[in-house]
Amino acid sequence: MSEDSCRVGVIGLGKMGLLHASILNVLPNAQLVVLCDKSRILRKFLKGVFKEIRLVDDVEKLSDCNLDAVYVTTPIPAHFPIAKTVYSNKIARNLFVEKTLASNYDTAKELCDLANSYGGVNMVGYTRRFSVIFKKAKSLLDQEKIGELVSFNASSYSSDFAEIKNGSKIAKSRGGVLNDLGSHVIDLALWFFGDLHVESANLESQSEDRSEDSANFGVRNSNGLKGNFDVSWCMDGYRMPEVSFSIVGSKGIINVNDDKLELKLKSGKTSVWYRQNLDDYANFWLGGPEFFRENEHFIQSAINGKNAEPTFYTASKVDRMIEQIKHRADENEQ
Amino acid sequence: MNSRKDIALLVGDNPFHGISHLSQERARVRGNDSTYADYAAELITISLDNEANGFMFSVSEQTLAILRKLREEEKIGRLNLYAIVPYAFEYVRLATQVGGIPGLGKKFAKEIALSGNVRAVAMGVKGILGSDPASLMKTYLSYEISRIKSAAGKEANLKSLILHQLLTDMGLALDLDWFFKSFIDFLLKRGITPGFNTGNFAYLVNKFRAWNIDLAEVIVAAPFNKVGFQMIPSKHTCEMALKSLPEPNVIAISILAAGYIKPLEAISYIATLPNIKGVSVGVSKESHASETFKLLAKKLHE
Repeated sequence: MSEDSCRVGVIGLGKMGLLHASILNVLPNAQLVVLCDKSRILRKFLKGVFKEIRLVDDVEKLSDCNLDAVYVTTPIPAHFPIAKTVYSNKIARNLFVEKTLASNYDTAKELCDLANSYGGVNMVGYTRRFSVIFKKAKSLLDQEKIGELVSFNASSYSSDFAEIKNGSKIAKSRGGVLNDLGSHVIDLALWFFGDLHVESANLESQSEDRSEDSANFGVRNSNGLKGNFDVSWCMDGYRMPEVSFSIVGSKGIINVNDDKLELKLKSGKTSVWYRQNLDDYANFWLGGPEFFRENEHFIQSAINGKNAEPTFYTASKVDRMIEQIKHRADENEQ
Repeated sequence: MNSRKDIALLVGDNPFHGISHLSQERARVRGNDSTYADYAAELITISLDNEANGFMFSVSEQTLAILRKLREEEKIGRLNLYAIVPYAFEYVRLATQVGGIPGLGKKFAKEIALSGNVRAVAMGVKGILGSDPASLMKTYLSYEISRIKSAAGKEANLKSLILHQLLTDMGLALDLDWFFKSFIDFLLKRGITPGFNTGNFAYLVNKFRAWNIDLAEVIVAAPFNKVGFQMIPSKHTCEMALKSLPEPNVIAISILAAGYIKPLEAISYIATLPNIKGVSVGVSKESHASETFKLLAKKLHE
């Protein structure tokens, strides 16, 4: 890799793959070299679209592309075998994987071990860490603006499956609501509060294929902070997915969601921030400025050989917590 | 150069879809009372009575129902239509529900085939057989034009078909000059002004110049507001790019910065900008509709 440019390939051309590929193509220090997808029809169509970018059908064919970094944006179950092939065939040293890192914690741990043994920079796509609103909330928490943390309520809702409650195989193939929508709110909670232990959990299915459509779970950390999560992709009125937290501390409360942050202190002082007054700029806008910042962060880290948070190790904690939730929910059912 | 009297005052459709960029919570509350076609048509009528002269909307079942209502009430001829395609939210959500892009492709092909639009079907077959993205794009545009015309009727004036921000910006990022040229060529031949909705206004202006696309032939819908919200990469860069245009061809959107700025302050800023062809503002209440458009006319047409 040259000092100022990174040759990149993207594997998996769904909506996230296309979004990352587009942003990579405008990043001045990235060079989008190759795209990989096993769908013959999609490749045939995209050949007419991407006239100057190579398209291949198999990960192993990336071996001769002299890549510095690879993005894995396939469905979650394929993350592990693809990442393993990328590492073992020495296709690239630096790897970005869309969330969640793996389909279970054991596989996530194996991926962390692989990444450690092969070196390079690794990162998982938890985009909300790059939102100006959640960054500001993290900064207020780090500054202990609301004092010692006591409790929190967190939610993550969307209407993605609100209208198809009677049996959707797609809901299940997306890995369930925890891996899909829930992983974002879990990652933010781990970022805000550190390690959390799952104390209770309940999973519900609203479709006939027993997919996980909603989840409610309680957590606690080693300092006694208690939290409750509610996650569902069957909620009416959530045109866009929304994550929110209400955090209670000894000196006040923080209410934060994707659009707004409110700090209410017991002293009576209240401060409110919106995206509009938090310098929500990026050099290119696609899907929101946080996607640009996320890609910029990974590519710059790969060029500099520096840690890119959230790393595989950091993100594997989300997979661990999802496994704990499922385990607790199973115990509840018995 | 057009005079300030020519600045188009367009009713935006975001509130009719329950969209508020300031707060999703506010959008949910709003969604309860303003998503119905009758109410939306009434708001548009009030806006027209207060100097608005166009409707800028994403083509969806909701907005097509509004057009049908306006046609029934014989008001459709009073406004110019600026249609944004595709309604990306609907397609992204559909992709989620039907299994990604291949699932969406199948569903969409079925819809076009069932639409009975012979020209669209023929171009679609050509596009599929030859894996020709340009033909598929034309198929799609024909399909959307026929949906609008069927809902709005012969009296309607489809002024512009505007490519949705997601596709415009993806096309810009991926350097798809052929895609933009093909889109422009197809629409100009049909007497419709090609439009582009972008979140990267300055980038688009630079790219179009580099690709020798005549900026005077198209319109561009982009955020312009006093606080620089969504003006990428910066307010200053967007203002400079606006100033550099050969003639007014920009429709300013997000002028209220999603409700963050009061109308008078927002409109006073827009009045200082050169090369503005129109302004689009969403309204969710009768009082908003009359006050906002009265103010827009007063400040921008004076």
